[in-house]
Amino acid sequence: MLKLYCTLSAALATATIFLVIGFLVQASWPLVQSQGFTFLFETEWYPYEALYGMLPAVIGTLWSVSLALLIAVPLGFSAALFSAELLSEPARQFVRFGMELLAGIPSVVYGLIGLWVLLPIIEVQFDLLSGRSLLAAGLLLALMILPTIMLLSEDAIYSVSKAQKEAATNLGLDWSERLLRIMIPESWPYVRTATLLAMGRAMGETIAVMLVVGSIDRIPEPWYNLLEPAQTLTSRLGREMAEAGVDSIHWSALMACGLLLALFAMAVAVISLRPTTPTEALKKP
Amino acid sequence: MKFLLAILLLISSFNLPAASDRISIVGSTTVLPIMAQAAKRYRHLHPDIILTVSGGGSGVGVASIRQGTAQIGMVSRELTEQEKNSFNNSVETIPIARDVVAIAVSKTVYLSGIKQLSIEQIADIYRGKRRNWKSVGGADTPILVIDKEASRGTRHVFAKVVLGHAQARARGASIITGSNNEEQAAIARSDQAIGMLSTAWLNDQVRALAIIGANHEPGSLTHITDSHYPIQRTLDILLPKNASDKTRKFIDFLLSPEGQKIVQNVGYLPIH
Repeated sequence: MLKLYCTLSAALATATIFLVIGFLVQASWPLVQSQGFTFLFETEWYPYEALYGMLPAVIGTLWSVSLALLIAVPLGFSAALFSAELLSEPARQFVRFGMELLAGIPSVVYGLIGLWVLLPIIEVQFDLLSGRSLLAAGLLLALMILPTIMLLSEDAIYSVSKAQKEAATNLGLDWSERLLRIMIPESWPYVRTATLLAMGRAMGETIAVMLVVGSIDRIPEPWYNLLEPAQTLTSRLGREMAEAGVDSIHWSALMACGLLLALFAMAVAVISLRPTTPTEALKKP
Repeated sequence: MKFLLAILLLISSFNLPAASDRISIVGSTTVLPIMAQAAKRYRHLHPDIILTVSGGGSGVGVASIRQGTAQIGMVSRELTEQEKNSFNNSVETIPIARDVVAIAVSKTVYLSGIKQLSIEQIADIYRGKRRNWKSVGGADTPILVIDKEASRGTRHVFAKVVLGHAQARARGASIITGSNNEEQAAIARSDQAIGMLSTAWLNDQVRALAIIGANHEPGSLTHITDSHYPIQRTLDILLPKNASDKTRKFIDFLLSPEGQKIVQNVGYLPIH
């Protein structure tokens, strides 16, 4: 009985992902039928003139997520090292508690903070017309994924076995050597997983990004100019989902945006499945 | 199993009577203040009826009525031919108030001397042909052109009058906002912004421009009545023809003297 229940649950859980992808593919098919795959490489999005170019939003999504990771990963990892290695147990619990609180704050709150605190700072610092930009989105996302990266990395570093730590100390390694030779290589696979999880969250985050990114379909000029307003896939979905008539091409195009997001997330998951060998560094002579 | 069934029954018994008395109102954020106030008052008069009011924009109002997810839709623009066809005469449009779409600028811009613009100048700004306030007589600073989501009623009305057709594109736009609140905040926070706003959202930080040719200061309600301000509109509700009596009674309330008083109180003009 229990076995059957578990089997059914597993089947259902596995089927869900295929159902979701299947639904998205089916829903975005009308767009492909009417316009082929050119929408992937076109830059104009204006549903009222049947223009569904997704390139600006894809670029905006990739930029904001990369920026967020670039900022949050080193920061989160260093904070994790500090907390796991240098803090006393009560202090460590306190820091963790703070991070857990940070992770639990609803994203719209981050959005409002971004709107009222981050945007004016960016406007003044870079002398911009409007602070709404990829930079604002990236910074806000970095703040949002920081707790994920920090907490998971901290767990990993903290749980590197005591025996290994002691062995390292007994072998005469100092703190920095121990860190570089043991703690980091040992915890690295978990940090990578944390990063990928955080990346998933950053990519799917909607409301906070929508409030600060500018929501305009434009590829930055030049392409690396992060101070320009831009569009992300989620910001577009957030702004347009409710108005698009079900079964219209517009609806279908939005579903295609959703499919793209899902595919990105899957690509990330596949990368994270790569076999890991945590003790490789230790095996080296 | 019986336990589960009992819970299911319990939940459904809570929901069923409530659902029939629930009136959900969705759409234009321009109409939203009227509905929010009216619903508050109406709840007070009829505690048995549950009214929920939420925004989203005129486009969302139309879509919600089409999909049957709301009982009343709020729209602040005329329906497009396509939308009319899709309803196939099963929905009526009832005007409940009047309003203008003001061309709004930041206080700083207003105080720097930009107090009026012509339709052509505004169109040039939105098309990206004029990018500096200096070119229309202001300070030497770039213009932050704020556009709205294409589905918004305010944008339809604005684009129709200024850019020529309701869905015209504004290539000069720098950023896109959604609700009146979001647009108002974006204009208020910038020293260089221009945007479009319903009169009810004008304040000290966000000032309306006069439109040359009309020879009137806009924003004041008297100029809407004598039709001098060029970007006018009625604020409507969409009501399916098979709406319940309870829903219709609420509409009657909106059109009653008390309802129209609310319209005036939130900053619009009564329909009669």
